[in-house]
Amino acid sequence: MTAPSHRSFDTAVPLEAPQDLVGFEASHSLAAIAVRRRLPFGLVLSFVFVAFLIAASIAPSLFTHFDPLVGDFSEGLKPPGWAHLFGTDRLGRDVFARTVFGTRYSLLIGFGGVAVGLGAGIVLGIIAGQRNRILDEAVSRLFDMLSSFPGVLLAMLIVTFLGQGMLNIAIAVGIAGIPKFGRVVRAQTQLIRDADYVTQAAIYGLSRWQVFIRHVLPNVLVAIPIIATVYIGSTILIVSGLSFLGLGPQPPTPEWGVMLAESRDVLRVAWWPGVFPGLAITATVIAFSVIGNHLQQRFEGRLA
Amino acid sequence: MWSRIVSRLFTSLVVAWASVTATFLALHALPGRIQDILAGDVEYPGLREAIAAEWGLDRSLPEQYVEFLSRILRGDFGTSYVLRQPVIEVVGSQLLPTVELALTAGVLAIVIAGFIALLTAGRGRFSRELTSFVELVFASTPVFWLGILLLMAFSFNLRWFPVSGAEGWNSLVLPAITLALPTAGLLTQVLREAMEKTLDQPFVTTVRSRGVGELVIRWRHVLRHALLPAVTLGGWLIGGLLGGAVITEKVFGRPGLGTVTLGAVLTHDVPVVLTVVLLAAFIHVAASTLLDILYVLIDPRLRAQ
Amino acid sequence: MGRDDRAIMLRSALFVTAGRVLRGPQLHRLADREEGGWHVRTLACDRVVDFDRRQGIHIQTEEDVVFHDGEKFDAAAVKANYDFVKKPENAVTAVSLLQAYDRAEVVSPYVVKLVLSTPDSSFLESTSNVKLGLISPKSLAKGDLCGGGRGLAGTGPFVFESYTRGQSAVFARNAAYNWAPGNAAHNGPAHLDRVTLRFLPEYAVRTGALTSGQVDLIEGVQPTDAPLFAEQPGFKLLTGPSGASTSFTFNINYTRPPADDVRVRRALRDGFDLEPIVKQVYLGTVPRAWSIIGPANPAYNKALVGSWGNDIAGANKLLDEAGWTGRDSEGFRTKDGKRLSIEVGYPQPYVRDNRDILIQGVQAALRKNVGLDLNLRLITAGEYAKNNANGTWVIYPNTDNPSDPARELWDMLGSKGFLYSNIPNPDQEITSQIDESLRTTDPVRKRQLTDAIQKRGVDQAFIVPLFAPSWFLAAKSNVNGLGFEAGLDSPSSAYDFWIAKK
Repeated sequence: MTAPSHRSFDTAVPLEAPQDLVGFEASHSLAAIAVRRRLPFGLVLSFVFVAFLIAASIAPSLFTHFDPLVGDFSEGLKPPGWAHLFGTDRLGRDVFARTVFGTRYSLLIGFGGVAVGLGAGIVLGIIAGQRNRILDEAVSRLFDMLSSFPGVLLAMLIVTFLGQGMLNIAIAVGIAGIPKFGRVVRAQTQLIRDADYVTQAAIYGLSRWQVFIRHVLPNVLVAIPIIATVYIGSTILIVSGLSFLGLGPQPPTPEWGVMLAESRDVLRVAWWPGVFPGLAITATVIAFSVIGNHLQQRFEGRLA
Repeated sequence: MWSRIVSRLFTSLVVAWASVTATFLALHALPGRIQDILAGDVEYPGLREAIAAEWGLDRSLPEQYVEFLSRILRGDFGTSYVLRQPVIEVVGSQLLPTVELALTAGVLAIVIAGFIALLTAGRGRFSRELTSFVELVFASTPVFWLGILLLMAFSFNLRWFPVSGAEGWNSLVLPAITLALPTAGLLTQVLREAMEKTLDQPFVTTVRSRGVGELVIRWRHVLRHALLPAVTLGGWLIGGLLGGAVITEKVFGRPGLGTVTLGAVLTHDVPVVLTVVLLAAFIHVAASTLLDILYVLIDPRLRAQ
Repeated sequence: MGRDDRAIMLRSALFVTAGRVLRGPQLHRLADREEGGWHVRTLACDRVVDFDRRQGIHIQTEEDVVFHDGEKFDAAAVKANYDFVKKPENAVTAVSLLQAYDRAEVVSPYVVKLVLSTPDSSFLESTSNVKLGLISPKSLAKGDLCGGGRGLAGTGPFVFESYTRGQSAVFARNAAYNWAPGNAAHNGPAHLDRVTLRFLPEYAVRTGALTSGQVDLIEGVQPTDAPLFAEQPGFKLLTGPSGASTSFTFNINYTRPPADDVRVRRALRDGFDLEPIVKQVYLGTVPRAWSIIGPANPAYNKALVGSWGNDIAGANKLLDEAGWTGRDSEGFRTKDGKRLSIEVGYPQPYVRDNRDILIQGVQAALRKNVGLDLNLRLITAGEYAKNNANGTWVIYPNTDNPSDPARELWDMLGSKGFLYSNIPNPDQEITSQIDESLRTTDPVRKRQLTDAIQKRGVDQAFIVPLFAPSWFLAAKSNVNGLGFEAGLDSPSSAYDFWIAKK
């Protein structure tokens, strides 16, 4: 039995273990279980939902005629009904419209964060995956160090330096996510460098550099979109958490975390502003997780 | 075995040292003068001089680094210029409610996870799919939304629990459940996988053939083995609980480290945020090291190596 | 009780809002405000209303009053306090109230003469301000005034006991107290043994604390929660005038573009219908405002009611005239490629009473009606202080602490008031009117001037009044003796409170 480290455990989870809480990694590993038990219906549903999300990000006015930023002041806090599908908030704004328009923020910041983390993680992971023991140790310690800060707190520290706002929390979340991307890429790199065809290429006389560029790198990069999809869900969770705390987009931006924060004062008399944005977040995270893990299962065989 | 333990300790020290160094470098790498960064937005006569004196900014960078390191080792995390108090006082005074919350939530999560794993490991396909789905949902639910929902149901409507504050065990219930559920979601999966692996082991068949009841088997024999992989998750668990507590405290209006940190972030109080983050990192490293060593000590297979 | 604890943690000037929390129970002022006037809590007071140059006030203090730390409350103590406030290096915000104060002369152990350098019709009112609460000279000398109450020894009915950051402050009864102000309901020590102030910054949290019985009294109940307490068995709800006798207003820095163009300011003022916004946010519990001075203030200029606002067509016309004819992709007006954007920098620690929601409502309306981007930004206290010092603030939303109306106007619009003291070239007409209103001893003339100032302020859209705040107190029904103190923006001192046995 291989020596356990605090970072991995010998279970059915194919990739490195989770290191942050509140669904960061859970979504991917749990969905792995779900997918393996063959829930194609869930998969189809997820695809459809994600397609809808992307459409809502690009052209939200297709789905609603209300203005998410300006409401009718005499229609404040109306419950869900025919006129307003999700009801109205305290300034008379249509909650459904705000939820739909809010999609783009969550997706944008989520993808942005993943991009940042992935970008740095790829570089570091490839370096670590080489046969150089020292480099591997050094980069792995770097990952350990980064992941010893709880994700939320590390993101908050970065926001303290950079200031609030969408771009900054994307960067903060990205940096906090470097370890997990880096470790995956590292594992992938190690897997490929030990593969037969790579060894054969070396035997044929290709230099190490040529082997790397022509064989190792492309196969590592192929995995990237899959990795991104797997982790986008957990990234969206932490992004909306930071927005809820007030560190991301500011009101009146209809970002889901912001909407949930605003809903708290009126919860006693109006449940709808506090329910629907949260549903949106949960559904989005589930959908991406299911898809991501399905992709991961399917392409796992082809990667090595 | 001892070499493994020693090397583990060494790695932890390296990681801890790296965190401190990284924060130091980050501080100095930022654009702008250090005095301005540390002062946040506060301005009063003598402030810049006080900062320069405290952080030794007139000295060379390596000297500053050594000074920084030794101060951290002494437990002196500097002064918050926004609050005009030593940071360690600010943080220390608010530590207790957060520790209460994190501990309670952790214990709760472990209990829930253990219970469900016990019941559902190796059972029929339907129950596993169902619980998997439920776990997926809980793990995908933002913790602050979960808190809001629980607040609505149990505080506003049913009036069973207070809306906020830190008075008595009553106000701990909802926040602890909120924090525990997403964690429990993941832990259950880990535990169940481990249990199923163990259930497949030959010794279990032997015990079963002796006529021992299923539940007894699981409780007395299997659980112990299944817990081992979960132990390795301990450090991560603690770190995650601390991070989740920050958000949960905001939802429930609980005082604590989360509130302090959030306030510090919003007022650009760098020393406080730095301290909280470093402390959390140290706790994480210490906990995972301890647990890893525990693992090595417990698992006889590793001891022999 | 609930109160924003960030107010305590504010910056160097301890005396800002910490005063309301800590000083209310602990400290006394020289005079106390009453309905419609003031009560000088001293014995002999002569020649107060004599405003020749170099005159001042003779104050004779009571002889048996003692500070919590044992120091005597005598003429020297008064002098020590006022001198301390006046010194700029002590960074006390009350210094603005002592503009005209020159020095104090200790005439005899219990008689002090406060001498003014220029006549100031608002001075007596200023002495009743909570910010000028009196502290033991020993405390002043020790200098531990920012430590959260520990170093403050006052003469009030309650003594500081303990303070837990972010959680609570506890005050115990001062058994020696025997010098209640004239406007109190009783004399002698307070009824209550102990007062605990708990800091609960969120509305829902405070409301929940009261409904579950964890606290006895809360202040700052939002309108949506009022039905929980009004006419409910076991609870009572009190509505009081807010201590601030000015409305909540937008103060516009009229020297910074684009708001330096009066047409733009007027368009901002008229570009939305204020009434439904105020009604929606406050559920009809407070009226909209028409002037910078509040309607409960005797100096209110009634002629301004109905005289401005909600002229969207006119606002659009003004903006067209001013050259803001382009439109950008989000529908905002532009001129030379620049968006018509005006920032409201609202310091986070002062946000309360759903005022940020109100501003968001105005923001939405302006966006839709005239294409103006009212950019609401919650800023830190430090950033606000910097903007103020540099004169770079754009719109500052504010209610001013109560004082004499001329002093209030001076504070917000005057050339040396807290907003405009760092701005070159404030409006001559209004500042000279303000200065004269402070100097004059003729009440008719003063009234004329304050009316004119209010009118000009609104007419030139230096200020856009929003609403006249009110304050809600909710308590368990067995808490009695409640009231509002006109000088504080909070419930009256706990001195007269008592709790009925069930």
